[in-house]
Amino acid sequence: MKKAVWCGAIAAAAIALCSTPAFAQATATGSVTVTANVNAKAKLTLGAASVTFNDADPDVTPLLTATSALSVDVKARTAAASTVTLTVQAGGDLDNGSATIGINNLTWAATGTNFVAGTMATTASTLASYAGGGNFSGLQTYRLVNSWNYATGTYTATITYTLTAP
Amino acid sequence: MIGSRRLLAAVLVWTAAAPAARAAAQASTATLSANVGTIAKLNLSTATASFPDADPDAVPQIPTSSGPILITAKSRANPGILVVLTLQAADDLRSGVNIIPASNITWTATGAGFVGGTLSKVAPVTVATWTGSGVRTGSQQLYFRNLWTHPTGTYTVSLLYTLSAP
Repeated sequence: MKKAVWCGAIAAAAIALCSTPAFAQATATGSVTVTANVNAKAKLTLGAASVTFNDADPDVTPLLTATSALSVDVKARTAAASTVTLTVQAGGDLDNGSATIGINNLTWAATGTNFVAGTMATTASTLASYAGGGNFSGLQTYRLVNSWNYATGTYTATITYTLTAP
Repeated sequence: MIGSRRLLAAVLVWTAAAPAARAAAQASTATLSANVGTIAKLNLSTATASFPDADPDAVPQIPTSSGPILITAKSRANPGILVVLTLQAADDLRSGVNIIPASNITWTATGAGFVGGTLSKVAPVTVATWTGSGVRTGSQQLYFRNLWTHPTGTYTVSLLYTLSAP
């Protein structure tokens, strides 16, 4: 009987000595690899779909100004070192069906970061450019040379805006 | 008569001897010790998470394509002691030389003890806290802040979850 008591006491002591203290900190970890895909994008918003010039005396107003400035909002995402470009290009000269006005008589002034003034052509002309992505807004004000030589009529031309984010 | 006296004497002798027999029995006790130590175990439903590309105007906060991460945290701790699950980014999101700060990843969470937060590479951010031992489950939905200014690329970052049971 004494032997049984001693065996029990020794076993209890052994358990106590070999066990981990209750106050030891336990930690477990896990990891997740996250991937984010960021692709190139371009978004262009024009404040109006048409621009109008009113008639005027060429001596008084040799340079006509459009009745309202055109707002241009540009959003683009591209590589950090790439250049975002906004160009304008005329489909042809101003045309009234029987006579034309050379499209190079159409110019513009511009306000807004990265926007520049220019002269319209049937090839692409830069209206704005900047490195990397981001949002930019500008105002483009068209002007048309007013000449006594123009045949009367209502002239139209289509201008195409192209935003490129390579 | 003599026979009756002898029987009485024999009974008395037996009665007197009986207590002596009980006193000879040995009483003993054994102390049983069950040690319950601190332990922590963490299970994440996935080891990878991916944010698809999207239009920043349409989806300003992109959720992971695979949905929420399911988290199971098992821990044994002393009563009243706080068990904490934290998350820390190993770095910012990187795509070659391009960097998007880790803070562009945020999360919402469901489940008792779980809270929303913003990722950091500088310090662990709490995902969940509980008191004492138990098995806890929750879900964590990661979001990527989608900006036009992010340079294009495929970005990766490793997230480290740590479950601590003091």
